[in-house]
Amino acid sequence: MRNFLILSAMTVAAMLALSRAALAQEAAKPGAAPDISGVWLVEKFEPRLFPNGGGAPFTPWAEAKFKATDPKTNDPNLACLPMGVPRFMIAVPYPMEILQLPTRVVIIHEGPQVMRQVYMNRQHPKDLDPTYSGDAIGKWEGDTLVVDTIGFNDKTWLDGGGLPHSEALHVVERIRRVDHDTLVDDITVEDPTAYTKPLTNRQVYKLKPGWEIQEYVCEENNKYTYQGK
Amino acid sequence: MRNKLLAFPPTAILLLLSISGAAYAHHGFVSWFDMGRSVTVKGTVTSFDWTNPHSYIYFDVKDEKGATQKWSAELGAVAMLARAGWRKDTLKPGDEITLIGNPAKDSKPMMHLDKIVFANGQELATAL
Repeated sequence: MRNFLILSAMTVAAMLALSRAALAQEAAKPGAAPDISGVWLVEKFEPRLFPNGGGAPFTPWAEAKFKATDPKTNDPNLACLPMGVPRFMIAVPYPMEILQLPTRVVIIHEGPQVMRQVYMNRQHPKDLDPTYSGDAIGKWEGDTLVVDTIGFNDKTWLDGGGLPHSEALHVVERIRRVDHDTLVDDITVEDPTAYTKPLTNRQVYKLKPGWEIQEYVCEENNKYTYQGK
Repeated sequence: MRNKLLAFPPTAILLLLSISGAAYAHHGFVSWFDMGRSVTVKGTVTSFDWTNPHSYIYFDVKDEKGATQKWSAELGAVAMLARAGWRKDTLKPGDEITLIGNPAKDSKPMMHLDKIVFANGQELATAL
């Protein structure tokens, strides 16, 4: 009898463990999360976070860097270099496609021809090597995908107007499908080396049914000259 | 005569003043072109670059004395133009068109294209 009870308890425990594993797997399926997949195009293209040329809460370090920027000569985009974040989400008037996989949300952008990968089931690695797109992790909070990105190099601009940033850049995005045709990305930029307070921005995208991401080779006939380093 | 210059020299080309929120280019367009002004120019196409990151129309503009000035118009990327109805053979050398776009800030004979008007009056706008 005693053996039977032990066996039963082990069986129930095993079943529960399996259920938990099954539930965890189910939760990781794209169908279990809100669907934000599709091809999206920014609704109102405004490549600058501060379009009127002022108001950015620069630290002295960032203000000096900003004064040295010139979109005609040292915009990294002139050399077809990656946009970085959040510029990737702001300053490109071309469509992007969001793909939802069990462990990742992948954003393929037609313009920069760079994809962002948002990892859903892990934390940021320690000792990240700085990169253009950083390391992005995501989690669902209700209907909102919260994307946390760090690990950037300092070679990109925040926007098309030349806002600089340091390797301390931390971007948090709250991405939500507010209706079938509309996606909203509320972006918060923190970089205490460059800004005395967080910068915020909202991007609105419209669904483009039937659109497919096309080839875009920035180096093909680029007539602009990059004089940065 | 139909391709006679609408506006030339450059001081006379600013026929239209408008705010253009539709036109764009990704390579620092705000720095290169005056997006708050619009110019209208008639010309004869010499070549059409159907390329990324930008397409280009090269065209000749003649003044009343017959002098020719070489112009160029910058467009967006191929994929977005295709979605707006453009094709690689939309233009060929010799086509007479009217070009409407944003002038270069430095008064060089360049524009950021908003749309073209064919000789038959048909219009074709750039994307977005």
